[in-house]
Amino acid sequence: MNRTGLLYDERYLRHRTGEGHPEVPDRLQAILKGLEDGNLLPRLTRVEARPADQRRIETVHDVAHIRRFEEACLMGKSELDHPDNQICYETFETALLAVGGILEAARLVLEGRLDNAFCAVRPPGHHAEVDRALGFCFFNNVAVTARFIQQEWGLKRVGIIDFDVHHGNGTQHIFERDHTVFYYSIHEHPTFAYPGTGREFERGLETGYGYTLNSPVLPGYGDLEYRDAIQRDLIPAFDRFQPEIILVSAGFDAHQDDDMSNINLSTAGYSWIMEQIMALAERHARGRVISILEGGYCLERLPELARNHVGILLGNHEIMK
Amino acid sequence: MFIQRSMTRKVITIHPEAGVIEARDLLQQHKIHSLPVVGLEGTLIGIVTDRDVRSALPATILSEAELGQLKERVAQLKVKDIMTTQVVTLSPNNTLEDALLLMQQIHVGALPVIDRDRKILGIIAFRDILRGFAEVLGIDEPGTLLCILADDRQGQMKRIVDAITEEKIRFGSVLVARGWEKGKRAFFPYLFTHNIVGIKKKLEGLGFTLINPIEMYLEPLPPA
Repeated sequence: MNRTGLLYDERYLRHRTGEGHPEVPDRLQAILKGLEDGNLLPRLTRVEARPADQRRIETVHDVAHIRRFEEACLMGKSELDHPDNQICYETFETALLAVGGILEAARLVLEGRLDNAFCAVRPPGHHAEVDRALGFCFFNNVAVTARFIQQEWGLKRVGIIDFDVHHGNGTQHIFERDHTVFYYSIHEHPTFAYPGTGREFERGLETGYGYTLNSPVLPGYGDLEYRDAIQRDLIPAFDRFQPEIILVSAGFDAHQDDDMSNINLSTAGYSWIMEQIMALAERHARGRVISILEGGYCLERLPELARNHVGILLGNHEIMK
Repeated sequence: MFIQRSMTRKVITIHPEAGVIEARDLLQQHKIHSLPVVGLEGTLIGIVTDRDVRSALPATILSEAELGQLKERVAQLKVKDIMTTQVVTLSPNNTLEDALLLMQQIHVGALPVIDRDRKILGIIAFRDILRGFAEVLGIDEPGTLLCILADDRQGQMKRIVDAITEEKIRFGSVLVARGWEKGKRAFFPYLFTHNIVGIKKKLEGLGFTLINPIEMYLEPLPPA
């Protein structure tokens, strides 16, 4: 069994998005309930959330964006940059705690004290751009983590796998000129789904060309199409790139019961994807995986999806049944 | 949509007395397919395309000896010898739709835009039109496409637009497909938001059907 870390903190519930918004604190409680009911909590090592040093955030985001975000929260504003990005007084602090907790999980994995970790954080991050909040995201959690790993631990090749049903525009843009961070995303086709980027011909820019890879999937499709795309696109690309660590933008909104997309992944389909990621990590990254929560809005399905996801991180495939 | 907003204003032009080799080099260098031919006063007198240039120049499969004989004649060949003088043009008051339909009709890839004195103001190429329509669709901003099936009777679009407006969601565009199925129309609003759960429920509550957009493009999906 793997030594798997779990990052979760009650303070992640403090970011409130108001009525009619799908990105709610209940999501995390559903996830935790799934881990509890699966009797996984005793096997997990809790990772402590602590606020990130703002200099860490600045490795990705403009100082002006950070200041604007902080001021908007402290001044009692209800949104940042767009009505999608609802905020409350505690949102800035919560976002810092999310990044800080993930960096702590990364440290434990890199020190060899953990094999891998799942970070059940809010707010999510993969839509956040260098200078603006977008699509419920404020700080790009996975991007800050990739920079931290490279700058503090000297890893040369970081692989990011984003299976949220929406394309991680922010993460792609941050690394599209960077050949040391490979960004792979599989998502609903951008003609139909937010945010409208992530077409297969977006392959990176300049020296980063070839280190961005997108697999758009047409609405209505599910397990079979995902299986094809991952075998055709992700696995050969990562076998060539040989990442020294894999970061996962884990979004569970491609599930067939999730209202936020038209993709029909099954619960078993999600498990299959995670098993492929674990196999890649075993081959290239000494098993090092840090999985970071992005979307996933179906409160009825989140418990089982989280349970299977973490079960696979633990290396215990029986949990999935 | 007027072409003034979408046309290229910095037009690469050529003089009628210039050599054909110079025209070929300009076309290659700027990755363009047509060169307006402009006299000293800046007035349009013709157009030369990469096809005109290719027809005029010797084939690359000729041997050195064969080419040698032609070299002198090629060097003397001028733009005015091969240009088209009957140029179809547009005025700045034409619309993007005019340009699109005209290009389809006469099979050309670019049209010069001139004023009353035939002075060249710009050129509009197929790719400018494509960019113009991409802007109209709003797809340069993050958003989500909804696909809504409604009865084919008056006032349905208004109900949809009102419902979306009440949710304070901004529109990128709305496309309408007629003849979707008998007695129905399909609406495709592109919405500048990530938060579509509320509006989807609201539209269903109003009696609209949200459809899988893939049905627009493909035969029914094979069973999983």
